[in-house]
Amino acid sequence: MPRLIMHVDLDAFYAAVEQRDRPEWRGRPVVVGAAPGGRGVVATCSYEARRYGVHSAMPIAVAARRLPPETVYVRPDMARYARVSREIMTVLQTLSPVVEPVSIDEAYLDCTGLQRLIGPPEAIGRRAKAVIREAVGLTASVGLGPNRLIAKLASDSHKPDGLTVVPAGQVQAFLDPMPLAVLRGVGVKTAPRLERLGLHSVGDIRRLPLETLRRQLGARAGTAVHQQARGIADDRVYPARERQSISKETTFGTDVTDPEVLRETLRWAAQEVGYVARQEGRAGSVVTLKVRLHPFETHTRSGTLRAATADDRMLFRTAWALLQAEHWLGRRAVRLIGVGLSGWHSEPEQGDLFADSGVIPEGSDADRLHETLDAIRDKFGKGMIQRGMARPPS
Amino acid sequence: MNIEITRAGLLPALSIVSGVVEKRQTLPILGNLLLSASDASLAIRGTDLELEIATRTPAEVHDSGSVTVPARKFLDICRTLPEGAMIRIRKEAERVLVSSGRSRFSLSTLPADDFPSMETGELDLSLDLDASVLKRLFEKTAFAMAQQDVRYYLNGVLLELQAASLVSVATDGHRLAKMSGALAAAVDTGESSRQAIVPAKSVIELKRLLPTDDALVRLEMGARTIRVSFGETAIVSKLVDGKYPEYDRVIPKDLPHVALLAKDVLKGALQRTAILSNEKYKGVRVSFNDGVLGLLSHNPEHEQAEDEVEMEYQGEPVVVGFNVGYIMDVINAVETSRIEVRLRDADGSSIWRGEGTEDEIFVIMPMRL
Repeated sequence: MPRLIMHVDLDAFYAAVEQRDRPEWRGRPVVVGAAPGGRGVVATCSYEARRYGVHSAMPIAVAARRLPPETVYVRPDMARYARVSREIMTVLQTLSPVVEPVSIDEAYLDCTGLQRLIGPPEAIGRRAKAVIREAVGLTASVGLGPNRLIAKLASDSHKPDGLTVVPAGQVQAFLDPMPLAVLRGVGVKTAPRLERLGLHSVGDIRRLPLETLRRQLGARAGTAVHQQARGIADDRVYPARERQSISKETTFGTDVTDPEVLRETLRWAAQEVGYVARQEGRAGSVVTLKVRLHPFETHTRSGTLRAATADDRMLFRTAWALLQAEHWLGRRAVRLIGVGLSGWHSEPEQGDLFADSGVIPEGSDADRLHETLDAIRDKFGKGMIQRGMARPPS
Repeated sequence: MNIEITRAGLLPALSIVSGVVEKRQTLPILGNLLLSASDASLAIRGTDLELEIATRTPAEVHDSGSVTVPARKFLDICRTLPEGAMIRIRKEAERVLVSSGRSRFSLSTLPADDFPSMETGELDLSLDLDASVLKRLFEKTAFAMAQQDVRYYLNGVLLELQAASLVSVATDGHRLAKMSGALAAAVDTGESSRQAIVPAKSVIELKRLLPTDDALVRLEMGARTIRVSFGETAIVSKLVDGKYPEYDRVIPKDLPHVALLAKDVLKGALQRTAILSNEKYKGVRVSFNDGVLGLLSHNPEHEQAEDEVEMEYQGEPVVVGFNVGYIMDVINAVETSRIEVRLRDADGSSIWRGEGTEDEIFVIMPMRL
């Protein structure tokens, strides 16, 4: 029996949360991301903003030129989005016990067997959208299909507030007209190469012999693309998958050579990563630096710490040291820079006499500085408090 | 003021008082000691506004009066003068002149009238007890005090006066120490027991200054202050303003498994295993088995240490993680040659005490390794 996999994707999530909480922003373009005038990028924007051709990862300066004056620009409030996300994931579990959050605003659910309980796939999808709307007042686009790939493409095919079901028998008809780029492994490099061969749709790929694809793309990628074009993909859902790493990176609007800007950006990225790690109660011992040089030359370097950490400064110092140790950088223009943390460590946990006794309110001696800083950020927003640094007088 | 005093008489008095003086003060005068001469004696007082220590020593007084002197420098001068020296201290204009033999020192001074004095308020409760009893109450528990915890009421030792005993308790939330001392005479504490939280610094000073002999100490308590006096010395301390947690509720009852170990053997084995435990957490896996206590530790570099200690044990095999430091503190506080451990399982707290002792209890929470 084919499985029934559902992909749930919240519509313009960050922007939708902002519009939900600020009714006066509804109907206006809302851009969540860097401050306009800066070098950062758009994290998410509302559908009103998308009408002007603005999209995620677009440099904020470009977006600002396109958008009308009534546009609202907000800095991301990750803590709030994370809270909403947790509510959504929790409520989805009332539908199916097998929920795999893949990001803050996306999840896969294994709905195999739910037909007997709820009804046909359309009904399951409607139910998912309804429980999310009731719980957090947001809309989601939902796709159902026999595997993850089809479910994801289905949810992508109608947005916002969509519901698309692709039954096993209609997979081919659904896939064939789609552009090549929907397939995993077909990216900016491979798509033009395939197009030169006269291949424009998934259907074109499907009709190609496997050997030709393997020659063009390499054995591994060729096989993968060949399978995907036939609608064959992973149909397993991994409930509450453990996060492999936490990372934060940013793409510069204009390529950067100024080491001071790189340094400040790394400091920012380390702070974001540290924050998420502490929110999730994690400490990692592997710090990864990611640098993309103009045009698409990506380097990653990792360093292993002696002890696991979630400390902003430790992350920053390690990443900065990794960057400084590299010769390829020279004065070359950097397009993207970021920091990742992985290698989770489960720390010994000293028991507390008072923890469950109710004798005194709970207290922990975790890093109080970070607790305090994070509490301030939760309450007043991320930009409110930052670690300072000494600058030489200019 | 103009006095003469032997170094041998002055130095012990100075070292009693100078412990209260902080390296950095909020007010300049708190870096000074108050010297007051009258009736053939010199009174010395130091304070940090939370704790005040005063003592008195015989002196040859030519002119009575009071001066203040910089505590650290004055102590260092007296300490470095030769043994058997006679020291002359006199005030001249805005200076205090200290001289002995061919050594002369001219010290700055601040007005004696400005020297702060602590208000004790009404001390409504008073009792006399052996100095050694009070000293032990602090010695047995001080190590378990919290250090600068936001739960400020844990940053000290609780003294609880019950009808016929004085009990001390300290805890940092991970371990707890409780000691009780018998009183010679019953005290009327009213309807319930009387509690006072003595702040950490005062505990350290009391522990240091209380005599070990069976001299009598007078303990006086008010709502906000406590005064301890013995011989010529009086210590006045503010109390921590707060309610101490109901410590009795976190002392486990009816623990089924009992182990008896030779203290020194355990100490040696713990010191060895600690070398390869995680530097930050100091965790050691302790397994209680028939006749043998097993110790196991490793560090992030995957080095490992194992050791075994013979013991008497009645109970099921249990494996518990502990912070080595907490066990060491207990070992150092216990006086008997054997140590008794009572426990239930890997997650609950255990009770440690000297074999056969009734007056002490040490509770340690395990560490999940």
